[in-house]
Amino acid sequence: MRSIRLINVSKSYHRETVLENVSLTIPSGKFFALLGPSGSGKTTILRLIGGFEQPDSGKIFLGPDDITHRPVNQRRINTVFQSYALFPHLTVFENVAYSQRIKGMDPARIEERVMRMLITMHLEAHAHKSISQLSGGQQQRVALARAIINEPDVLLLDEPLAALDLSMRERMLLELIDLQDKLKTTFVYVTHDQTEALTVADQMAIMNADGEIEQQGTPKEIYEFPASSFVARFVGSTNLLRGTFRTDDQSDPRVEVPGIGAIAVDTHRNPTAFRQGQQVLLSIRPEKIYVTLDAHRTDFANRLGGTVESIVYHGRSTQYWVRMASGERVQVFAQNDEHFPQEVIDYDSPVYLYWQRENGVLLER
Amino acid sequence: MRFLRKELPFTIGIPAVVWQVLFCIIPLVMLLSVGFRSQEAYSLVVSWLYGRVIGYSLFLAAATMLICLAIAYPIAYLLVTRFYRWRQVFLFFLMVPFWTNFLLHMFAWYFVLEREGVLNTALRSVGFPTLSLLNTPIAILIMMVYYYVPFALLPLQSALERVDWRLREASLDLGASWWQSMRSVVIPLTEGGIISAALLVFVPAFGEFAIPELMGGDRSMVVGTVVSYYMLTARTPEVGIAFTVFSAAILAAAAIGIVRGIRFLIRQGVR
Repeated sequence: MRSIRLINVSKSYHRETVLENVSLTIPSGKFFALLGPSGSGKTTILRLIGGFEQPDSGKIFLGPDDITHRPVNQRRINTVFQSYALFPHLTVFENVAYSQRIKGMDPARIEERVMRMLITMHLEAHAHKSISQLSGGQQQRVALARAIINEPDVLLLDEPLAALDLSMRERMLLELIDLQDKLKTTFVYVTHDQTEALTVADQMAIMNADGEIEQQGTPKEIYEFPASSFVARFVGSTNLLRGTFRTDDQSDPRVEVPGIGAIAVDTHRNPTAFRQGQQVLLSIRPEKIYVTLDAHRTDFANRLGGTVESIVYHGRSTQYWVRMASGERVQVFAQNDEHFPQEVIDYDSPVYLYWQRENGVLLER
Repeated sequence: MRFLRKELPFTIGIPAVVWQVLFCIIPLVMLLSVGFRSQEAYSLVVSWLYGRVIGYSLFLAAATMLICLAIAYPIAYLLVTRFYRWRQVFLFFLMVPFWTNFLLHMFAWYFVLEREGVLNTALRSVGFPTLSLLNTPIAILIMMVYYYVPFALLPLQSALERVDWRLREASLDLGASWWQSMRSVVIPLTEGGIISAALLVFVPAFGEFAIPELMGGDRSMVVGTVVSYYMLTARTPEVGIAFTVFSAAILAAAAIGIVRGIRFLIRQGVR
């Protein structure tokens, strides 16, 4: 249960820079997700924390201790590998007991601790099976059990659910959240799947393809207030409109979008101040737009007209692509909350998009 | 056509079976039947004298096997983990000596091991006493190890190449030291390679007769020497064959023992 700090860490492989001056603080006792596209260096960060690699420069702290050059086997950090890396020549029991035997613990105590762990992970019936006899989900649990029986300060998880099917993945995500809640160990979860990251994390960091950290915060902060267009696009989906920022003495701020006109925005929650005439991007989440055939709603600050170009029915929601008169395409998610909808929106329907001014997020261009 | 499709696997095998029967099984049966022409042949070979010869052969083969494994495993390990790019070059140089006649190697070793040879000159220059190695079991072992190391190296190397090194990372992650990780993960994962390497050295080394004959002088009697004596010198093939059958039975038992022993030792290392 200790925090991890990376300070100006750089790492390159064969003269190819993966990380350059990365600084990151992972708070103690939290479920932390590191989210980024593949090749962004997030696994490298995990391997540096785990001790499988050494940084070219910079320092890594675990709590107050500098662990930059401490060997892997002397860190109180354990890893759940993407491939699970379970020992094929050992049984489930022996896999989980491995670290305890290495420590030279008394066999009777090992037996007791391992069995208790197997019961927690619902694996007691499989104790004496070999790894190859287990399903993917069971192997995943063995890998977890093997890593947490050692009571590490930090548990590293490298895309641990990538090999599981969707329903199994959703169940394991909930189990992981419960487990972290129970153990209070710092979990560092690396993934490229934004849904997983948003689901599990108390805190998360977003990395871009150049190995830089774009934003760190709670999932809600990151989703609702992305700090850059990269974050807005990578976490969830969004509509980005290019325009010019206009404001008359701090009242009625708006973005002039060529071909569309002025869009009312709210700058109160924006961390950075925008200047009059500055080029900006306006991000509007598709589910924050209301789509209707009605041209006369007055309860919204913004209204845009367009034609429905495509409709994708997802079950709980429907995704519309709407073509504006200016040629831009805007996507909208509408909840399917009525069994018999009052109005039927079809292909080529002339529709109107409405949203409140605070639903647009201003980003630097 | 239907016959062909169903029986195809067997049809393809027919030439090989014919070949085996004609050139291996029939001659073997003929040879073995010679061994039963006289009853004394077996009573003659099952004796203490030959027990000692077989024991000496077992000792030479076992010592060669152990030394070869001890040399080849670290080399194979380094080739796979550190010098992976150079392994083809290394294996090429390992094969080069096989292009020249084996007897030439042996004479080359004479120059190294004899009293005024390369080794003794070197030793004397740093103040060591002269060693008489030729015509001793040590000379035999040196030559045997020299000859058999490649047989151990190849299966070990291919076994180590198939190791999933992420498992080693996992064991270090769980707190194992380098040696604990070797013992409990890497060596068990290469068990198959270790067993093939051991048998590939042990079995031919047990029957080896040119090396003991040439390096060990006339005092060292091994299984191969006895067989060649009865077959070629004394011209009593039935005794030679009886002796071959007898020592082959012991060899088979020894090989089973080696496989069991290796499995047991590896299992001990895991715990």
